[in-house]
Amino acid sequence: MRLIKPLTSLIVLIVLTVSLNTKFGSVPPLGKFFDPQAGFWANAEISIPESGEIVLEGFEGNASVYFDERRVPHIFAGNEYDLYFAQGYVVARDRLFQLEIQTYDAAGRLSENLGSRTLNRDLATRRRGMPYGAEKALEVMKADPKTWASINAYADGVNAFISSLEPKDYPVEYKILDFSPEEWTPIKSAHLMKNMTRTLAGGNSDDRTSNTIKYFGSDFVEKFFTVKPELNDPIIPPSRKWDFERIPVQKPDSLFVPASAVELGEFEKPEGVGSNNWAVSGSKTESGYPILANDPHLSLTLPSIWYEMQLNAPGINTYGVTLQGAPGVVIGFNEKVAWGVTNVAADVMDWYEIKFKAASKKEYWHDGNWKPTTMRIEEVKVRGEETILDTVIYTHHGPVTEVRSRINEEREPAYHALKWIAHIPSNEIRTFYELNRAENYDDYVESLKHLAGPAQNFVFASSEGDIALWVTGKFPNKWEHQGRTVSDGTDPLYDWQGWIPFEHNPHIKNPERGFVSSANQESAAPDYPYYLDDDFAPFERGRRINDRLAEMKEVTAKDMQDLQLDNFSYHASTILPELLEWMDEDSLGANEKEALELLKEWNYMNDAELVAPSLFRRWWGNFYASIFNDEYRSTKAPLRYPSRDRVKEVLKNEPDFEFIDNINTEKKETLEERALYSFRATIKGMTENYGEPGDKWKWGYYQNNDIDHISFVPGMGAQNVFSSGSSESVNATRGGFGPSWRMVVELGPEVKGWGVYPGGASGNPGSPNYDSMLESWRTGKLYELKFMNAPPKSFCINWNCPR
Amino acid sequence: MLLTLLIVITAYLLNLVLPWWSIAIPGLILGYQFNPKSGAAFGWGFLALFLLWGGQALYIHFANDGILSTRIAEMLGVGSPYLVILITGILGGLVSGLATLTGSLAAHKSITIKN
Repeated sequence: MRLIKPLTSLIVLIVLTVSLNTKFGSVPPLGKFFDPQAGFWANAEISIPESGEIVLEGFEGNASVYFDERRVPHIFAGNEYDLYFAQGYVVARDRLFQLEIQTYDAAGRLSENLGSRTLNRDLATRRRGMPYGAEKALEVMKADPKTWASINAYADGVNAFISSLEPKDYPVEYKILDFSPEEWTPIKSAHLMKNMTRTLAGGNSDDRTSNTIKYFGSDFVEKFFTVKPELNDPIIPPSRKWDFERIPVQKPDSLFVPASAVELGEFEKPEGVGSNNWAVSGSKTESGYPILANDPHLSLTLPSIWYEMQLNAPGINTYGVTLQGAPGVVIGFNEKVAWGVTNVAADVMDWYEIKFKAASKKEYWHDGNWKPTTMRIEEVKVRGEETILDTVIYTHHGPVTEVRSRINEEREPAYHALKWIAHIPSNEIRTFYELNRAENYDDYVESLKHLAGPAQNFVFASSEGDIALWVTGKFPNKWEHQGRTVSDGTDPLYDWQGWIPFEHNPHIKNPERGFVSSANQESAAPDYPYYLDDDFAPFERGRRINDRLAEMKEVTAKDMQDLQLDNFSYHASTILPELLEWMDEDSLGANEKEALELLKEWNYMNDAELVAPSLFRRWWGNFYASIFNDEYRSTKAPLRYPSRDRVKEVLKNEPDFEFIDNINTEKKETLEERALYSFRATIKGMTENYGEPGDKWKWGYYQNNDIDHISFVPGMGAQNVFSSGSSESVNATRGGFGPSWRMVVELGPEVKGWGVYPGGASGNPGSPNYDSMLESWRTGKLYELKFMNAPPKSFCINWNCPR
Repeated sequence: MLLTLLIVITAYLLNLVLPWWSIAIPGLILGYQFNPKSGAAFGWGFLALFLLWGGQALYIHFANDGILSTRIAEMLGVGSPYLVILITGILGGLVSGLATLTGSLAAHKSITIKN
């Protein structure tokens, strides 16, 4: 019996140790996690990595990697294999968790490591055909020896790094979430490209537009979505004449009406995914050589989506930012040319209502025949739970999703098939492979032919003096407004009937005005013969850039950096004067009057220090809601909201516009009343949320620019970064979205570049380089980029040390 | 005190090559060897790993300018990085204290059999 005590003690010890070695819910195994030798403490960077030599298996020749004082790697390799091997190795070293989690997400495999909380996201990813699209892309990549070689070399490099790791070396996120890195395979590069397509071309409002036509009538849709604002300033200016006949398409006689009120809410486009780029010709610059600028606006995260790098090998010397998982530089320059991208909001995602023959869904009606469907079984592994097998039906359009009615639960579900550019086999990596090596305009155009999606406005400048902009991507040849509503899946006239030939894509080279630019607005003027979409970004950023570039002379690289930071609000300047005029000031209280004064004095700049931008934003939001919400909320069906630039025009021109009236009251409201009530609600709301007028009312805080961790791990992001800008300003920083990389390149005999992104080279939250560039980004400083022709002769880890 | 010192040294060495739970081994063996009273066994064992893990954590915290410990504190919602260090010490201490206690109890038992 005397054994009881020691045995009890032993059992308690074992239970404690096992518990501390086990993951409970989202709590990591605590003993493992807190172990100073191998837990999270081991991720605290306590010395700058020393210079050294690493011997790796698989290397063909050799490569040297130099890290500059911002820890940007400069890779000098003897051949292409070693170059991409080294890129993969270095990226894995700095960004392993990001590299893996992005592609897990794109493949619908998050739940494998994160458990059932990500299951719905994984299922949606699968049902949207993301892995299916990646598999098709991989086939095209395999068929192209150069692409295939580069993504394999990259994979070898990533794997060389992964296999050198012991559990204690894993990035801290692996320890928090308790899993291990797996082998990197080439298909993951394809997954990454699909992820970009989902981010940039993964939204549409087909069902909303269908519902809106049904609920408010086609006149309403005509007024707000077909008619374009007068201030629109298309990317390819109206002066560009088109010297080709469009390829004809056949249009159905009447527009299909789908089973009403479906629920596809998650596909709505968020505002904020936008970008600016432009190039100014030598005729307008101080140096006489072109200057190019680009700032892609994306979700701002830590680590940043971008990673800066120089790649040098025989036949290639390029500098810029990379996407983790793809070999090569995505936005950047070389010794002869520079390029940058903004998103094209073309409609390349359409829904088709499908008629199945029977509940088994083995056949569907199309073009007068019952056609067979195919089935794809998606195997979703879930950590700690049973694997889920999800059968996805495919028609020739694409994968089918079941949609249930939001307003009538009794109704049988409808079935919608997705036709999406991400399912079209293509090889975007080849575009960047060629651009990285491009020497002139012709090389640039040639490289763009490989890109299907996500469609991008590729701006270009060369040391030869050319500037150009091609709206790049594969666009279906559609009839006017095809696919802005839910399509008839039985009628072949709704199918994508072919493609716009590449040569017909909107483009312009060396225009008279001496500059090219894009800010996600309409691609071309109304005389462009093809239909691309009815839902491009508002004119505000594009018009501001064009206004400024038109009046600028003797342009310097600094001028271009300043333009990237321009906070002017075309939005405010085209409605605030009217709002103020509509206001009846006499009835205002003291606080309200003071706030109104701020707005009257405002110069329309979205500066962080000002209060007026916060007041305006909120006022406009309340005002817009007061006009439309009473009507829009009178149904549960999701409807499409008009864009602000067109709404402003209508309100200014038609003071009797019927939506101004509140349908829930007896009396008939006027614009004046709407302006006054929404203003009072603004001041009341601000006071309730942020207290009496003070620092918290300042735009820099009010806009709430949270730069979160890529997987939203608390404590690993930067909260409420005090920032200027707004979605309608060139400096499009707005609540966690914004310029994810600012770059300015001056072409010439010696190419010079400047750049910054909100983050740092290291993906390790325990490194000072995790967010070391954030403050420079916030205050609008760009670093001069160290673009070298040859490896530095003498080198030490800190660039400033004596030579 | 010597017990604590020996546990610190052996646990440190074992932890270099074995997973974290190896910190229980010195307590088990040395607790048996030294055979202190139960309360003292737990106390000395606890102190050893509290000092070792807490000390290592404290060193890393300063050498890293608190960058990571501050983020972990925010993640855990504990407010201060010093609490993260304290938790580290306590976790190590608990395992080692319990191990030393187990070792000493086993020793008590063997002594009884001899009598």
